[in-house]
Amino acid sequence: MFADGTITPSTLSVKDLPWQVHWDRENCSFCGRCTAVCPVHAIELGVHRKRLLHAPLLGETGGNTSSSNVYQVYYGIRQRTDPAYACVGCAMCNLVCPNGSIIPYRSDEIDKLRFHINRGGQPRRRGGRRNDPAPGILDRIKFIRISMLTDPALDAGRHEFELRTLLGRVLPPEESLRLYREQGWFPPVREIYPLIIGAMSFGALSPTMWEGLQMGVAYLNEELGMPVRICTGEGGCPPRLLRSRFLKYVILQIASGYFGWDEIIHAIPEMKEDPCAIEIKYGQGAKPGDGGLLMWYKVNKLIAAIRGVPPGVSLPSPPTHQTKYSIEEAVAKMIQSMYMAWGFRVPVYPKISGTSTALAVLNNLTRNPYAAGLAIDGEDGGTGAAYNVSLNHMGHPIASNIRDCYLNLVKVGKQNEIPLFAAGGVGKHGNLAANAAALIMLGASGVQIGKYIMQAAAGCIGSESDRCNICNIGLCPKGITSQDPRLYRRLDPEKVAERVVDVFLSFDTELRKIVAPLGRSTSLPIGMSDALGIDDYYAAERLQIKYVI
Amino acid sequence: MKKEEFYRISGMENGHRIESRILEERIQKAVADGYRYIEVEAFGQHGIGGRLWRAGEEKVYVRIIGSPGQRVGSMGFPNTRIEIMGPASDDTGWLNAGAEIIVHGHATNGTANAMAQGKIYIAGSIGARGMTMTKHNPRFAPPELWVLGGAGDYFAEFMAGGVAVICGYQPQNPENVLGYRPCVGMVGGKIFFRGPHKGYSHADVKLEPLTDADWDWLTENLQVFLAAIGRTELFGTLADRTRWQLLVARSPQEKRTQAKRSMRDFNQEVWVRELGRGGLLGDLTYLDLSPIPVITTGDLRRFVPVWENRRYLAPCEASCPTGIPVQERWRLIREGRVDEAVDLVLAYTPFPATVCGYLCPNLCMQGCTRQLAKLVPPDIKRLGKASLKARLPELPPLSGRRVAIVGGGPAGISAAWQLRQRGHEAVIYDMQERLGGKLSAVIPKSRIPEEVLNAELERVEKVIPRVYLQQRLSRADLEQLKADYDYVVVAVGAQKPRLLPVEGKERIIPAADFLRESKQDRARVGKRVVVIGAGNVGCDVAAEAHRMGAEDITLIHYRRPPAFGEEKKAAEAAGAKFLWPHSVRAVTEKGVELTTGEVLPADTVIMATGHEPELDFLPESVSTRGGFITVNEFYQTTDPQLFAVGDAVKLGFLTDAIGAGRKAAQAIDALLRGRQPQETVRPKIDYSRIKLAYFDPRVSGFSDLERCAAECASCGTCRDCGICVSVCPQAAISRKENESGGFEMVVDPNRCIGCGFCAGACPCGIWNLVENEPLE
Repeated sequence: MFADGTITPSTLSVKDLPWQVHWDRENCSFCGRCTAVCPVHAIELGVHRKRLLHAPLLGETGGNTSSSNVYQVYYGIRQRTDPAYACVGCAMCNLVCPNGSIIPYRSDEIDKLRFHINRGGQPRRRGGRRNDPAPGILDRIKFIRISMLTDPALDAGRHEFELRTLLGRVLPPEESLRLYREQGWFPPVREIYPLIIGAMSFGALSPTMWEGLQMGVAYLNEELGMPVRICTGEGGCPPRLLRSRFLKYVILQIASGYFGWDEIIHAIPEMKEDPCAIEIKYGQGAKPGDGGLLMWYKVNKLIAAIRGVPPGVSLPSPPTHQTKYSIEEAVAKMIQSMYMAWGFRVPVYPKISGTSTALAVLNNLTRNPYAAGLAIDGEDGGTGAAYNVSLNHMGHPIASNIRDCYLNLVKVGKQNEIPLFAAGGVGKHGNLAANAAALIMLGASGVQIGKYIMQAAAGCIGSESDRCNICNIGLCPKGITSQDPRLYRRLDPEKVAERVVDVFLSFDTELRKIVAPLGRSTSLPIGMSDALGIDDYYAAERLQIKYVI
Repeated sequence: MKKEEFYRISGMENGHRIESRILEERIQKAVADGYRYIEVEAFGQHGIGGRLWRAGEEKVYVRIIGSPGQRVGSMGFPNTRIEIMGPASDDTGWLNAGAEIIVHGHATNGTANAMAQGKIYIAGSIGARGMTMTKHNPRFAPPELWVLGGAGDYFAEFMAGGVAVICGYQPQNPENVLGYRPCVGMVGGKIFFRGPHKGYSHADVKLEPLTDADWDWLTENLQVFLAAIGRTELFGTLADRTRWQLLVARSPQEKRTQAKRSMRDFNQEVWVRELGRGGLLGDLTYLDLSPIPVITTGDLRRFVPVWENRRYLAPCEASCPTGIPVQERWRLIREGRVDEAVDLVLAYTPFPATVCGYLCPNLCMQGCTRQLAKLVPPDIKRLGKASLKARLPELPPLSGRRVAIVGGGPAGISAAWQLRQRGHEAVIYDMQERLGGKLSAVIPKSRIPEEVLNAELERVEKVIPRVYLQQRLSRADLEQLKADYDYVVVAVGAQKPRLLPVEGKERIIPAADFLRESKQDRARVGKRVVVIGAGNVGCDVAAEAHRMGAEDITLIHYRRPPAFGEEKKAAEAAGAKFLWPHSVRAVTEKGVELTTGEVLPADTVIMATGHEPELDFLPESVSTRGGFITVNEFYQTTDPQLFAVGDAVKLGFLTDAIGAGRKAAQAIDALLRGRQPQETVRPKIDYSRIKLAYFDPRVSGFSDLERCAAECASCGTCRDCGICVSVCPQAAISRKENESGGFEMVVDPNRCIGCGFCAGACPCGIWNLVENEPLE
């Protein structure tokens, strides 16, 4: 701002911004990398004028003042304060700085920017996460049943484990016997690894990220024998993947926009393998009750080809499916249709956002013999783009939601018949295995992850402190969520795949460390809530687990 | 009893098995009593034969018959030799610290578990978890386990040292002498084995060929082993080097290199093989998707610098209604081309000295970028005054097209001036006796020296020889002009005073009438003058009234007086008082009666509340709005043959009138040449692009034109300072001379990283960092 510049209500100082870029004049070599890499142009070369004043000691000069005034021009890296260019804290500047001369710091107080990122009457939209740095309930749950002598104590390092879960409708024995006798239809059931890479579309993720995840999953299956599955999200599936044997590791998602589904249908006759399952998306934890919109400028040739649309058009995914008028119809109609596509060989299950109405959905599913499970995505789920208000304030915590559903299944005696899958903030503070195990013991048959794998496998720098969070504008500095080759080519699919493998192997070890003392090495301790404790009385009451202090 | 004879201890007493504790006490007592040969008849008692340290250095031999319980020889001492004459139970030699233990049969699970020293010889096979958790303490020889048959499952788990030898002779499982899943977590020691196996933990151990030293050790100790178990006849069978293999623990460094397929290999050998060339998306895109660095050059830059020299108008140029390229003039002066800078202006205005040098509020200076940092703008008045000497450009020959200009004020003269410069004949008609409109008729001499105005009017007359003065045109005359000329430009100004409808208004002198009289020194004023309307015209009136002898001058206004600039200063210098807010109710012989009832005594009352055009001579085809002629952006009226400029369209500054005349002339010229008029104005540069930190903020004025030019920020036009060339961290920018003698700054895309330092440093705002072309 100029010296006599006027101010507007949205004129902010650096202090008002969430991130302050600290720049070290001493060590800067003015190499230009920081400004070249900054995704939002928050920093620029600034021209500054410095004034050097000199005055003599008057006593020595006898009153003859040979004082002087000299101006010098110098350069600096200057942070911009226009809300449109506010630093997002990604610290890419620091990453590329050869001298460590620049780094953003989080403001020591609540920023003022938040009151001004609604210019033009558009409320803030962003990608990322809920931005709640407090430890969640999942992080506070402890595994209090450590069986040294009471159960067959297993050694996570020495004993053999095969941690698997079932995705699909498991019939009660009498029903199975009856169908066996009558040679009836058995619902397909998949035996899969309980940690699933959840729905992230081709479009939300960059091509390199998507390929890296898929490659890593294929490696886990084919080289390490871990039946890990990955969900496509809504955005179609590359034709080559549909026609490859790797398709069996893939859960295809169908959602309200139906993008890419005609391409999938066309590929059915050429499929070598059935997909693992079909997930029908009704809701997303990060933005419950809201849909998505892939802006036209992100719909490049590649995305357009995969989604089966012309390039350069905006692609709306409405909040609701357009032709469903009741819960019964929605569930029955969609599940039936999706089963038919693969001759009733592929399990089909819906995914909803965490909600106080989850039980109504679940009860409906228990009456539907085709329903292969229910996935619930809690409030801590991530997204590539959502309204701030949806991200921060909408949705249901996953722990109590999954617990209520499980206990309800117990009540109706179907807890072993219809698997529940939990998602939304699993591992959001880095405690992936602990969070997953807690959810499993609360009643989930498995968990889905999104943000965690982005952080662990691709170096996503998002945090619960509103860092980066610019997935929505396609400028992901790590190339994870961008459709710009100049950004996404920063990401090497092979390296992503390697990290995916690392994540699953280390998760597997940690999960063993948790379940081994419970004497479990093959069957997951689903619903084994007597192993859980928490130091919060009300949480313990609510989840029906032990209160421990 | 001789000490060499076996001292016999039975585990059974009076038909009852004795407790392990009692048996242990009796064995320890026997040793303490000096017995060195002890035969124990075991009935499942625990831990027989261990801990016989009481014998000191002397050898103790314990022979066990019957059925020993678990942990025979546990915590055994180096002085002890234990021989079990049949099979042994679990954990034989558990935590063995040196004893030699011989089992003449099989041993069950946990054999040698946690053994640290000593030797265990098994004449049969062993159960699960043999040789687990064994150690090698460097203070002692490593422990050894010799098994004639095979090992059970989970053999050598967490083995941390020692040597195990599995001879594979009549093993319990002939297809696998090492059992299921051996060596998990093994970190030290060696395992010699003979016979088939079904795998081991590759992460922890590796097969190594037997060295000669290994073989020597093995054959030597094999004989000892066979002798101990009484099977020396097997030596020939077992001593076949080709059938032995050796497993050794991997070092911690070796463990990291697990034999997993690399992801690169997986990608090439599995992924691409199944999906096809290019992987997942190879069929959909020809884009190169291979990894790139974060900092890129060329096409891979996200942003590229563009040298936008002269793409934008400097704010001074954009602020000037006349459209004078102010900044360009300063540039010429910087380059030492003062004459060019002076002459250039006549292409834009006929009155550079009169208007720019004296009468204009100099919007160029008001709009100057330097003002934003409170720096003094270059003094255009100085350049304006210097332009009195500007030389006329050579006029083009006449095209034969003619335009009538109605009104010889600044707007009309400007239009005529421009038309003539474009080769068209312009003929001016004016009502007054003298050309120049307001300039010559109304504006006080105090504000514009006569000689300056006259000099410029003379210059005008050279360009526009045909001027018809004292012509008051009627509607019919205008129609005639339309018939006689290609176009008619109406520039009649606003002559009709807007008088307030107050009582006694006949006593009021309109300002224009007064100024016209005073300009010719004919005006008569009383001592007390009240001027109604304290705008700049009011101020001119006040100053002139003072000049004509008024002593007490009051300006009143219904709100804060809008007067500013030179005019206001002149009025103040004349001692004029400004009173507001006051509204006039009536003008009487006493003076001005205000709505408050107060009377301001006045001998002369002059009203300066504005003027409006007199337009009754216009044909009906020309529409007006609010008393002014409506025009489009080219000053064309609703009659396409008629243009209108100046105060007849909208009240404004002299420069507005001159600018309107110029634009109208440009449009007429275009039409005469059969083109549609076009707005060709470049957009104004964004102030924020100019870097004022390069200038000294303490400069408070300029001694000459050269200093003015030097301090001009040259907004939007490269000043060739070379700062960008120096600032670029990649040395990507260079100065290139072009054929026409000019230059441009060029970027080497193969060096540039798109940092934008050039844009950040450029004093003039020439460099711009723009998004690179999309790649897909």
